This record gives sequence, C-alpha cells and structure tokens, in this order.
Amino acid sequence: MNSMQHIDLHGSLVGPDDLILVTGAGGFIGSRLVARLLDLGFRRVRCLARQPLDPARFNGDAAHVEVVQGNLLSPDDCAAAARGAAVIFHLAAGRGEKSYPDAFLNSVVTTRNLLDAALAQGALRRFVNVSSFAVYSNVGKPRRGVLDESCPVEQRPELRGDAYSFAKVKQDELVAEYGRKHGLPYVIVRPGYVYGPGRDGITGRVGMSPFGIFMHLGGSNTIPFTFVDNCVEAMIRAGITKGVDGHVFNVVDDDLPSSRGFLRQYKRHVRPFRSIYVPHAACYALCRVWEWYSDWSEGQLPPLFNRRSWHAYWKSTRYSNDKIKAQLGWTQPVPTAEAFDRYFRSCREKRAHA
Amino acid sequence: MLRIAIVGCGKIADAHAAQIRRIDGAEIVGVCDREPLMAQQLAERFAVSQHFSDVGQMLAGATPDVVHITTPPASHFPIARQCLQAGCHVYVEKPFTLDAIEAEALLALAATRGLAVTVGHDDQFSHVARRMRALVRTGYLGGPAVHMESSYCYDLTDPGYARALLADRNHWVRRLPGKLLHNIISHGIARIAEFLESDSPQVFAHGFTSPRLRQLGEDGLVDELRVIIAEEGRTAYFTFSSQMRPALHEFRVFGPKNGLVLDQDEETLIKLPGARLKSYAAKFVPPVRTARQHIGNVATNARTFLGRDFHMKAGMKNLIETFYRSIDGATAPPIPHREILLTARIMDAVFEQLDRRSPQAETEVPAPRRRAAR
Repeated sequence: MNSMQHIDLHGSLVGPDDLILVTGAGGFIGSRLVARLLDLGFRRVRCLARQPLDPARFNGDAAHVEVVQGNLLSPDDCAAAARGAAVIFHLAAGRGEKSYPDAFLNSVVTTRNLLDAALAQGALRRFVNVSSFAVYSNVGKPRRGVLDESCPVEQRPELRGDAYSFAKVKQDELVAEYGRKHGLPYVIVRPGYVYGPGRDGITGRVGMSPFGIFMHLGGSNTIPFTFVDNCVEAMIRAGITKGVDGHVFNVVDDDLPSSRGFLRQYKRHVRPFRSIYVPHAACYALCRVWEWYSDWSEGQLPPLFNRRSWHAYWKSTRYSNDKIKAQLGWTQPVPTAEAFDRYFRSCREKRAHA
Repeated sequence: MLRIAIVGCGKIADAHAAQIRRIDGAEIVGVCDREPLMAQQLAERFAVSQHFSDVGQMLAGATPDVVHITTPPASHFPIARQCLQAGCHVYVEKPFTLDAIEAEALLALAATRGLAVTVGHDDQFSHVARRMRALVRTGYLGGPAVHMESSYCYDLTDPGYARALLADRNHWVRRLPGKLLHNIISHGIARIAEFLESDSPQVFAHGFTSPRLRQLGEDGLVDELRVIIAEEGRTAYFTFSSQMRPALHEFRVFGPKNGLVLDQDEETLIKLPGARLKSYAAKFVPPVRTARQHIGNVATNARTFLGRDFHMKAGMKNLIETFYRSIDGATAPPIPHREILLTARIMDAVFEQLDRRSPQAETEVPAPRRRAAR
C-alpha cells in the first residue's frame, strides 16, 4: 500500500474510533480493504468471515481488528456482526457457480439479514453495498457508447443465463428498497473486473476456454479493469464521504487496455498459450444461435450465451470513472502500468510455485 | 391439467421446475419455502403465480394435486405426511426419509389414502438406465442377477455443493444420521435394491474418513464407504468414494449367462457376453465387439441429443412423467414402494454399522512378527 494516497478522515462521515464492519473480509478484495482501513488509521475494524481469520494477516495492528466468525444466513450472526457498526462494507456474496438459488441465497437473503440487523442496532451511518458491472444491461446503448452510472440495470436478469448477475441485480434492488422504505443510508459501488495479486484468472470479457482452446472474444474492446487497491480506495471513499447517500458509483481505472492488448501482455509476461480470435459479429451470431437452440431444445444446452450476455460482456463499450473522481475525490492510487506489472508478476510467481 | 406445487426452493427445486415445465398436462401452481425471498425468486423465474412461506397455506391456497418436496431431508417426513393428509400425491427428493421407520409410515399413509408416492431416484430413469432395464426384461442376463457392483462417487472439489458443505460447520448435511453419505448414496443403493428379492438382506459396511478430508480437519465426515450386500444366491458391492478417480457413477450387473455395465456419466451401456471364445480369438474379437458397442452408444446418444431429449435431467423428467401417469392408477408406480423401503433399510444398516464401529474399534489383522536378526 506504499503508493496509496492519504485520505483525510477529518470531516468524513466517521472517525478512526468508529466501528467499521467488513463482510467477506477473508476474500480477495475484503482482505485488501481491511488492510487499507488499518493503514488509514481506523482502530476498530470488525471482520465477518465464515472461516477463522488471523487478524495478523492484514499487515496492520492486529489489536485493531476483531474477527467475528459467522454466516450471514444466520440472523444471530448478523446481529453480532452489525452491533455498533457505523459503516458496513458488504462484500460477501455468493457466486453460485451455475445455480441461481445458491447465488440468490448467498447474496440476497444474506444481505436482507444483514440489513435487518444493521437497522435494528441503530448506529449505522453508511451501508456500502458492493455490486458489480454485471448488473448493467447495456442493450440499448450504441456500440462504443459510454457505460456509466446512468445506464439501466438489467430488467430481466433471469434471462441473462448468469446466476451471479441475477443475484447482484436483486441484491441492489433490495438495498435500494431498504433505502426507500426504512431510510437506510446506503451507497452502491459497482466495480468493473477487479484484478491484482491473488486473482490470476482471465476475465470472461476477454475470452474463455469452453472447449479446451482459448476463444478470444474481446478483440479491440476496452476491458473495465480496476486494480484491487484502486478499487478498495474507491470503496472506502464511498463509505466515508458525506452527502452521497443513495448514489451509485462505478469503479474502473484510467488508461484501460483493450482486450487484445491485455491478452498480448498476459501471454508475454505470464505464459504463452494458443488463442483463437472470434470477431464481434461471429461472437454475436454464436450467442444468438446458442440462445435460439437453448429455447428450441427446452434447455438441452443451458442459456449461458445469449444476446443479453453479448451486450453486457462483449459489445464494444467505453467506461467512465468521472463520478468517483468528481463526487468522491478518487484519483487512481496505483497507475495502470504499475498495477499490471504487479499482477503479471504475481501470476508468474504463482505458476512457478504451482 | 395436474396442479403441481414445489416445497423447498433451493438448487434441486430449479431442476424440478424446469422439468415439470416440459411436461404436457402439468402446471406449477405454487411454490413454497420457509424463506419468503427464496420462494419469491423461484416463482419469478418460472412464472408461478403464487408463492408461500408456509406449507399449510400453500396447500389451502394453491390446492395442488401433486407436491414435490425438495427440502433438506430432515423435513421430508413431516412435510410429506402433511401433504398426504391434505390429499396430495407426493414426489419426495432423495433420500426419501431419514430412516426406514419414517419411510414405512409414509408409504402406509399413502396406501391408506389411495395416494401416489415416489422418490427422486431419477438416475434410474435416465435414457441409459431405461435401456438397461429393457434389456434385462428381455432375459439378457440369462436369469436373476447373481452379482452387482454399484459405484457412486463424489468429487469433493466440486465447487457447488462440497465447498459449501466443507466451509459450513453447521450445514444441514452434517446433522443427518449418515451425514455426507446420507444425502448422496441412495442413488447407488437404489440401483442394487431394484434387483434384490429379499426384504432383509445382510449388510456389511466399512467406512472411513479419507486422509485428504482429515487434513482439512474433517474427522467426523465419512467419505469412503464400501458395502457388501448379500441375500440367498445374490451379492452386491457398493462403493462410495470421494477420492478415487475416475469418480465413477457406474452399475454392473451379472446374471448366470451375461452381464451389463452401465456408465451414468457417459450414458453408455455395454453388454458383457458370458460365452468365451477360444484361444487367441478371445484376445482379439471381444475388444472389437466392445468397440462397436461404444460406437453404438455414441450414435444412440447423438440421436437422442438431436431429438432434443438429452437434457442433463432427462431421467428426472421421465420419472416425473411416469409418476404423474401412475397417479390415476392406470400404470404402476415408477419405483415400487418395496424398493423405496428396501433402500431405506440398507442405508439404516450402513449408518448403524458406521456408528457402532469407530475406526479404532475395528479389528486389524495382526502385523507379522519381526524375525530375529541373524
């Protein structure tokens, strides 16, 4: 975190002795978030995690970290975790793999439990709901249009063929509903693809290997990357900046690479492998045919690829981070070139030790 | 039009809803889950008009003819009993109940009320399982089965279920009498039960926790199980393993004349002729014949796929359809009640033996004495 900027807590929504709760603290983003909160001087950081966590893992003063082991499906665990929390960073979510009920249960039901507990204990000043770019529809946008916070969210997420996207849409709806009905002070943070040391996969926006060979689907598209430390910085600002209740913030870095550029760098710096480029038109046609066949065959092939998913993931789109800059005062702490350098290095090291 | 309801809106309920939707003459009229949000999400995704968080209200409000029970196993018995008492036919996901006593009570209640009951042993209704059953009925085995080998393995690195179980010390699976085994092995045991004639075969079970699971601190979960089942003139082996590869889902049945091998994952059925060729012909001709059978299986699977009937849950659809047809009594129930009960009894015997024999208490063959150094 050496390259991180100082965030002035003076005049912020909370002070260093206010209690901060982080759910999903053992995860890729959550652990960096906790480390950064400690780095900023917060002295009461509570981590909720399913598995036991060593407070020393966050590279800060372990005495400032309280670990609560629990499950968000348990209202009692939620009550214990939320007690006295002034800000909640809610990162825990169920990816669900291919199961809609699993993703929904571990994203929406858990969020409802946490919200009920947070509202009941009465100390909450900000609920930071960590969402995803996966909620955006992007259907009505022209090619190379700008995707920002004003873009519509998927209206029929069950048709996307993506359990995670469905669950995240429903989670966001729930949080907004609690805002309207119960006066929940919330913000929604929607990161693009969060990368960094500890996550070595390639986002499906670049491509995938459904049949053993990598299909490059992104082509010249800009990929909405955000380096984990940069993303964490935006989340913290969203959690402590006054006057932004009810706002949505997209998080992407500056100087985003194209899919092709990223893939070239990845092959050069991490490992070479064969890939086949699938042009945009062919990718769209494939999604269209797959969608048709899935319907016609009554689900003999699951609807993983369809026009909605093409618009959301593979249509040429530009991304804006103007709002986090203007309203949260975010500037990118780790420049993109340095971020990718760190990322590729960690990927290489992981492969070397595999 | 049959009015269908689903109780329990978790992962397997999705599969039920998807297959019911493909069946003519059936309509899902209500879904129910103790967690209202779960009921709501299933209703939304499958365009079901009503959702409930209470079974009684669902029975009264949706007035279903058939209820599919897809809750965790501990609640199968009370919910199925409630549905039967309300005059509904019930399809209960596997395992049917927690034990044979509950199974017997449910089956008796259904018989008294003239209602249909089945259990979700859908693997037995996959295309390949039906092909095998048809072949057995033609007398291919040459008489009653002599021996069976059923393997039903589970890869604990599977992200969906196993990771959730291993990460959660309070997972409901851990509270079942047979824990992990209880929720999985009935598919493989039921295949054997189909061929047994006695109602009380002998059962010898040996189970242990794999070293890999011990490393993860999971001493209480048995994930390796070997069972011998025996009755007059017939034996069977059952294997459950989380560690062996390939993680087989295979059934072998041998008659006095021929045998059959069913591979559930590959959906292949291979005939094992009992007659032996002579001399070197035995080395060359049978492999060619087996290769031809494999090609035949590929062709059959391809035909089924092209015919849009090769869904991952094709067995479930067939079982549900067959069950619905049996409701008016025109056809026999897809799974005989005797077979449901026998499966439960065998599982009871397995879990009782695993409970009784802790690993330390097992008799070991004494190690040979060391010879004195010369």
